[in-house]
Amino acid sequence: MTGLSAGLTSDGRSLAQQARQQLAAVAELRWRIFVNSLRTRRGRMEFASHIFIGLAFVAGGIGGAVGLGGAAWFLILQGNVEWLGALLWPVFLFWQLFPLMATVFTQNIESSSLLRFPLGYRSYFMIRLAYGSLDPSNAVCSLWLLGIDIGIGVARPRMIPWATIVLLTFALVNIVLARMIFAWLERWLAQRRTREIMGILFFLFILSFQLIGPLIAVYEHRSIPESKILGQELSHAQRPLPPGLAAAAIADALQEKTGNGVSSSMISFLLLGCYGGAFLGFLHFRLRAEYRGENLGESAGRKALPSGLSGLRLGWDLPGLPGPVAAVFEKELRYLSRSGPMLFTLIVPLFMLTVFRSSGRNEGLFAHAPGLTFPLGAAYSLLLLTNLSYNNFGADGSGTQFFFASPARFRQILLGKNLAHLAVFALEVVLVWLGTCLLYRPPSPDMMLATLAAILFVVPIDLAAGNLFSIYSPSRVEAGVFGRQRASLTTVLASFAIRGVLFGVGAMMFWLSRNYGNLWVELLMFLFPGACAFAAYALALNQVDGIALAHRENFISTLGRRE
Amino acid sequence: MDSSAISTENLSRRFGELVAVEDVNLRVAPGQFFGFLGPNGAGKSTTIKMLTGLLAPTAGRIQILGLDLVTNMVEVKRQIGVVPEGMALFGRLTGSEYLNFVGRMYGLDRETAAKRTAELLDFMQLTDQPKTLVTDYSHGMQKKLAMAAAVIHGPKVLFLDEPFEGVDAIAAGTLKTMLQRMIARGATVFLTSHVLEIVERLCTHVGIIHRGRLVAQGSIEELRAGVEARAADLPLGANGGSPGAKLTLEEIFLLIVGGSPSGGQELSWLG
Repeated sequence: MTGLSAGLTSDGRSLAQQARQQLAAVAELRWRIFVNSLRTRRGRMEFASHIFIGLAFVAGGIGGAVGLGGAAWFLILQGNVEWLGALLWPVFLFWQLFPLMATVFTQNIESSSLLRFPLGYRSYFMIRLAYGSLDPSNAVCSLWLLGIDIGIGVARPRMIPWATIVLLTFALVNIVLARMIFAWLERWLAQRRTREIMGILFFLFILSFQLIGPLIAVYEHRSIPESKILGQELSHAQRPLPPGLAAAAIADALQEKTGNGVSSSMISFLLLGCYGGAFLGFLHFRLRAEYRGENLGESAGRKALPSGLSGLRLGWDLPGLPGPVAAVFEKELRYLSRSGPMLFTLIVPLFMLTVFRSSGRNEGLFAHAPGLTFPLGAAYSLLLLTNLSYNNFGADGSGTQFFFASPARFRQILLGKNLAHLAVFALEVVLVWLGTCLLYRPPSPDMMLATLAAILFVVPIDLAAGNLFSIYSPSRVEAGVFGRQRASLTTVLASFAIRGVLFGVGAMMFWLSRNYGNLWVELLMFLFPGACAFAAYALALNQVDGIALAHRENFISTLGRRE
Repeated sequence: MDSSAISTENLSRRFGELVAVEDVNLRVAPGQFFGFLGPNGAGKSTTIKMLTGLLAPTAGRIQILGLDLVTNMVEVKRQIGVVPEGMALFGRLTGSEYLNFVGRMYGLDRETAAKRTAELLDFMQLTDQPKTLVTDYSHGMQKKLAMAAAVIHGPKVLFLDEPFEGVDAIAAGTLKTMLQRMIARGATVFLTSHVLEIVERLCTHVGIIHRGRLVAQGSIEELRAGVEARAADLPLGANGGSPGAKLTLEEIFLLIVGGSPSGGQELSWLG
């Protein structure tokens, strides 16, 4: 015991040494998992997909770095250093929002898989912090900050050390904040009650965006001096926040402002550090609770059902469809309604509409083509269902064995799942339509009809492709966990390619039919391919029984295994 | 047509170079309570997966209730119930929702599925947490739920992979009662288990698989007689049992697979 109290483990090693060994062991574990994954063809395809996506991110990172670096250089040369914040805000928003919007690209670890080892809290904290540090958002945003740093350095070489320190701190603050947001979101979405409260808060947040329209209307007819005043007010408002502080720390140093013996640049930098400390503290609270083994189980109090057969609850009925299809439909919707990430996904199209609405005057980013809001929103809703429709069995886990053990045919199971996903998509489209009406203007009848006809063409092919990929390349996901939705990257890439082609063809037909100017011709142009798409869907559905049977072994082992 | 409830002919399964199951010829008569035993990695789970259509055999034939599994897969699946390794539960449904779902997947109408769900939850004593998701159930509750799901459609043959693993005495008692009722109704039960005392108490017949080959099959009495006849040629006490006493299933099992409870080796760091 004395050895332990002196910071030694029972075998005489220091705790720091043990922590280092544990970190090395986790790193080696990741490496072994990666190497072992290359043994299978699927693993090699995943790796190739990683390289492809990695290259895309590198291109985005370098392109953004050049652009932001050039902008920083230009602003400094022009003497508009107070606008540096305008460069750091997009970096900040991307850094924090991208991991939430695109969880497929993020790495995370389940705490329970670590906590069974004799891991000290410090090691646990470091592992949780380090695990997501190589996410694309971190890499891309770091490149962007590097670009800004170089831009500042080229314009004012003497500023390189200070700008590097400030931007490095800004990067660390962002990394810690992103981990903190993830950790807390996981906590809130882990329980139904907090999930519901979160949902309501999020919805109120979304609704609050509607205030932006009237606000813009108030300010848009003001004179240039008044607009300048507004700009200054916004500039003041953003200054106490991390991007504003980082920008101020650099801008003030460039302008060599001083105050009461301590430079205002240093004060901004220290405040930025305080933010980092506060985020670290909140992350610590969360991870400490996880480390201590909090119980987030949703076991309700024991409320006995009346014994006997009173109060029977019947399953759902879908008129005209066999019982197994209705059963799968019901099961899917129950699953989705209990999945925090899915509920979050439902709100995203509305969120994007409001963001676009607030991105400019009048019609926002859709100012030049307001009529396209509804079709683009609908297309975006379809994209958001990738995790579901291209990985139909991902959330079923070991339950997939049941599908092979039951007498239901796979075509029935997939039809039930497709109908459930269609119901979600239909709800999304209605929400987008409502959002379009409230935030923009109601879509014209011919635009609505054309959009619906395009949906009839795109969706069946998309579902058919999703069904096949769900069997060929399944990937287990946790329905109730945010941030660990690791769908197969091969599937994600393939789905992007298929949607690219489908949306391209759809857009071309859309454009042709709109130019023709006849509603009925427009409809016919979509309905004929729509009928072909339905035939293709039915054909693919008829094949899935044989395909599923041929792939059952890989299918069951992949989905039944816990990563 | 074979009158057996379960029969296999030269059933084999290879995983690359590894031969998991080789030339297994099983015969399980209708109404039998059949225990399928073997050491870890012997091929029990692989066999049960093949018998239930979860895994394709590399070679051989399977007949369930006289129907060829490959050509009549859907019909066979209608007649059997399965508790596979991992239990095949859907964690984000409640127990009641899960049973309802399973019942309807087996073709029961909504009313029958709901009625049997209520009866099964009551029988399995799972009614006191109606809103709890299956993922939040204890291991024993999940086993009971998996068993309830396997019988909801009234199968004629029941396949159970380690149904008593990790189950406490109370839950095990409930499961045993359920299985005995199934047998009393004329169903056939095929189970794998490592708990030999339970198998000895419940099963009328056993099959023992070792390194992928079926090395013994028959009633427990037949196996005992066979082992005792073999042991009669060995020196006194070499059969592992006390002289004069009836061999237990565990002793029969160890004699057949040639294992001993301890490996005879020591672990240096444990002293």
